[in-house]
Amino acid sequence: MNPIFRRLPALLTLLCATITMAADPTYTIAVIPKGTTHEFWKSINAGAVKAQRELAEKGIKVEIIWKGPLREDDRDQQIQVVENFTTRRVSGIVLAPLDSQALVRPVNFATRSKVPVVIMDSGLKSDNYVSFVATDNFKGGQLAGEQMGKILNGKGNVILLRYAVGSASTEERESGFLDALKKFPDIKLISSDQYAGATRELAYAASQNLLNRFGREVDGIFVPCEPPTIAMTKALRDIGRAGGKVKVIGFDAGSQEVADLKNGDVQALIVQNPMKMGYLGVTTMVKHLRGEKVDKRIDTGVVVVTKENMDTPEMKELLYPPLDKYLN
Amino acid sequence: MGGKSKLWTIFNLLGPFLGLLVVIGLFSLSAEVRPFFLSGGNFKIILTQTVIVAIGALGMTMIIVSGGIDLSVGSTVALTSVVAATLLVENFSPADAALLTILAGSAIGLLNGLLISGLRMMPFIVTLGMMGVARGTAKWLSKSQTVNPPENPINHLMASPGDPTQFLPLPIGVWIAIALAIFLAIILRKTVFGRYVFAIGGNEIATRYSGVRVSLQKTVIYAFAGIFFGVAGLMQFARLTQGDPSGANGLELDIIAAVVIGGASLSGGTGSVLGSMIGALIMAVLRNGSSQMGWPTYMQEIIIGGVIVLAVGLDKLRQRRAGK
Repeated sequence: MNPIFRRLPALLTLLCATITMAADPTYTIAVIPKGTTHEFWKSINAGAVKAQRELAEKGIKVEIIWKGPLREDDRDQQIQVVENFTTRRVSGIVLAPLDSQALVRPVNFATRSKVPVVIMDSGLKSDNYVSFVATDNFKGGQLAGEQMGKILNGKGNVILLRYAVGSASTEERESGFLDALKKFPDIKLISSDQYAGATRELAYAASQNLLNRFGREVDGIFVPCEPPTIAMTKALRDIGRAGGKVKVIGFDAGSQEVADLKNGDVQALIVQNPMKMGYLGVTTMVKHLRGEKVDKRIDTGVVVVTKENMDTPEMKELLYPPLDKYLN
Repeated sequence: MGGKSKLWTIFNLLGPFLGLLVVIGLFSLSAEVRPFFLSGGNFKIILTQTVIVAIGALGMTMIIVSGGIDLSVGSTVALTSVVAATLLVENFSPADAALLTILAGSAIGLLNGLLISGLRMMPFIVTLGMMGVARGTAKWLSKSQTVNPPENPINHLMASPGDPTQFLPLPIGVWIAIALAIFLAIILRKTVFGRYVFAIGGNEIATRYSGVRVSLQKTVIYAFAGIFFGVAGLMQFARLTQGDPSGANGLELDIIAAVVIGGASLSGGTGSVLGSMIGALIMAVLRNGSSQMGWPTYMQEIIIGGVIVLAVGLDKLRQRRAGK
């Protein structure tokens, strides 16, 4: 028999393997973020790849399919992605739901089809999943409140600029902040009912309005996420109250925020750990698939980053996640 | 020569069908994905994912055949999904809410039609404006938040019933889409109104000179198409189980692509219900298959874009043949 014909089956297998871009993995795990362009999601992707590499060293083969919705922030598209991976019968799905309500049914569908789901980052109005891997946002807010008390030596006028109505994660941060402030009876909350809005422009206008009224008396400001932190700092610079005259505590670690922390316009940032979220999302799923018991709720941790500790190795890894090492 | 033209007629009819088969065949090549991709459960999912685009494409087919275009469909679907959710929150009965939602879709279409025929404005401009107006109204009505009514019967229209691995039973929404497609196909083929739709798209001036009240017919076309967009909005609501003012963004482009892939010409006069339905299916299969192959999102966008250009290219080729 002609040697080429004898090798034909092997060649065909190779061809098929190339087409599917995978070589017979033990577990296929679909990781579905809310979007793909933000730095936050890239860190989650890097964490998932990190998990895959570490598991491979232990001899557990995992294939990661990283797939966001076709149009970012489109709920229907994300539902389609979940459904398509369910009928594709992947071993498991790790999902950051775009909406706590709209994704309930597709997650139920996956569970019903015996494809387990781990939820990460944002909550779901259902408990039909294996585990919820996310930041404890309430605790993040509490850390901000305690830090505020510390910086102000327990005394002063404080503003909470809220983010947006109906955003579950930031609302938890806000109530955590208010909860921690109760420990400081001499701290007076002079405004806590204003909303910044979703974009940097809206937040900038809201900050200006707020400072126009309270700019002279305010000593400390907490803002619960990235866009309003940047906007508020900018508004403070405009009126010459930045650089530590008014203490600012922000959330997350966008590059502008980190720059503001470095130059002293922001006193502290509460930072989540998206890489750890991606990492734990995948490892938790693998544990579940291997029949081990996993916790229903897994906290991925928050820390306070200040100018003093921002150059330590572990903070550096949070502020500048080593994406290049894992993503190409 | 007669044999050759007959061949082309058959090709015209079968073109979209062949396209669908090619796409399905493409994803069946991979030995790893085939057993999941070619399963009853997966085709149930694909049909469910096609419902909204398909129902929208029915209205759009009528408009495009008549030589018009509607860019406001995505916004209309978002607005009507918010209307449905808001009515349910306000304790309207599901039947009333559904009816009023469909009427809302039709009202937007009527407004489009009146502006286009009354002021002799380009459909492109009128519906481009309506795209913003409807989107803004949806956000205003919902205070820019998703509207979440309690559990209700409308949700079940798009819920996938039964065993997830079996093709049957299909969600009610799929049957509604099929019924509407048959209904519209009969209207376009067998009624006077249907013939006017093709005539206006083929040659508007000649149609006017033969005594047809073109302005009135055009208004009716847009209002009638609006009914389909209202139903699509109801399905969008049922699928998300919420009204989402920022949802269905860019849906009109998917719908126009489905109609064009299905063989309709943007210059009017040609197009078919069956073709548009297959066009919608081709796009859903492409999405489903690319997901299952683990292709990255950008590949999917490039492929779908390529398919649209290819389909229109074939359309041009067909027209040139027909012109000879």
